[in-house]
Amino acid sequence: MNIPLNIDWQQILLHLFNFGILTGGLYLLLYKPIKAFMDKRTAYYKDMEAAAQAKLAEAENVKEQYDEKLAGADEEIAVKKKETMAKANDEAEKQLQDAKAQAEKYMQNAREDMAREHDRILEESKKEVAELAVEATRKLLAQTAKDPYESFLQNVDGGAADEH
Amino acid sequence: MKEKKQKTGIVVWILSLIALLVASIALNKPGGKPETIQEVMKDAVLHEHNKLSLFGIIDVNPAVVSAFTVTGILLVFALIIRIFVIPKFKYVPGKLQLLLESWVGLFDGLAKSNSPHRNGFLGLYVFSAGTYIFTSTLFELLGLQAVTTGGISIALPAPISDVNAAIALGCLSYIVILSGGIAGNGLKGVGRTLKDFSLPISMSFRLFGALLSGLLVTELVYYYIALSFVLPVVVGVLFTLLHALIQAYVLTMLTALFYGEVSERHERVAVA
Repeated sequence: MNIPLNIDWQQILLHLFNFGILTGGLYLLLYKPIKAFMDKRTAYYKDMEAAAQAKLAEAENVKEQYDEKLAGADEEIAVKKKETMAKANDEAEKQLQDAKAQAEKYMQNAREDMAREHDRILEESKKEVAELAVEATRKLLAQTAKDPYESFLQNVDGGAADEH
Repeated sequence: MKEKKQKTGIVVWILSLIALLVASIALNKPGGKPETIQEVMKDAVLHEHNKLSLFGIIDVNPAVVSAFTVTGILLVFALIIRIFVIPKFKYVPGKLQLLLESWVGLFDGLAKSNSPHRNGFLGLYVFSAGTYIFTSTLFELLGLQAVTTGGISIALPAPISDVNAAIALGCLSYIVILSGGIAGNGLKGVGRTLKDFSLPISMSFRLFGALLSGLLVTELVYYYIALSFVLPVVVGVLFTLLHALIQAYVLTMLTALFYGEVSERHERVAVA
């Protein structure tokens, strides 16, 4: 059949074949790699933006937390101060009690030491007196053949006169 | 002294031009029986006489050879870009990268804006069709020569100035629209696409008519030697550039528009 306008199915198919080759070639060589690169870049910047947004949100969150902390800081400082004062008072009281106890202990020890020393001195004095007495007696006995009683009296008198 | 030399140069240049013009008119001996303007125009439209041999296999219209040549040029260009340019792409693009990205982004954006729900294949099709129409229309500016089977030397025309190429592209666009309708809405999509049954004809002949009108005007101008100076610059270059841009835009825009229309899902709203 002779189609008007010189329309030829074979040539239409040839044009379609040619266009098919062109489309395939352009897809593989240009369209796909360029689009892939553009998508990759878009994803890169999206990720970047998402990361920036996340960091911004985190920063906002931290700022809010700090604001809250700042607002409660005075109250916290007062509480801390009160706590510290109470603690310091307790500590001072405790130290005072300890010091008193220590002083008491020292006093007690001193008293005991004094009593012990007193007793010891007393004991020693007694001992010395007794020894002196024994010694004196021994000397008297050894010195005189007089009546021991007389001699004793003379010695005692002589000793008293010497003392005066 | 310098001005005098310049004036002498201009006079010599003008005289040379006049001599060349006179010589070219004087040497214009018609070789055999000249073609009438009617014959030239008819051949430009119908391509009945001048045939080219395609790889020595079949005789075809010159537009088929033009089409394969354009495809070859484009693919070689794409291959060079793929090997030497694309691997060096950076996140902050240079001039060439920007041009390539704009080129792909233009058609991809056209597909996405006209068919937001389904545009994967459409983007590729409009990219390919737009590139082909634009490049093949500009191709006629190169004036590549070919020898017909009858031994006559002719300038290769723009592929789409042949009605067969225009029909191929118009029908293919319709098939792409139909495929979008089927993919989006099944049988309902087929119905919607077939509703616009005049679409392939209108698309084909719009392309053919636009390209042919440019070709006829150019042929008309070139037929008369008196019109062969200065005027072809406007007629040939500017008209061709405008055609290339307008036709590439019109066909891709219409295809994307109809594709988006027929592939759009219409959910039925449940009546409570």
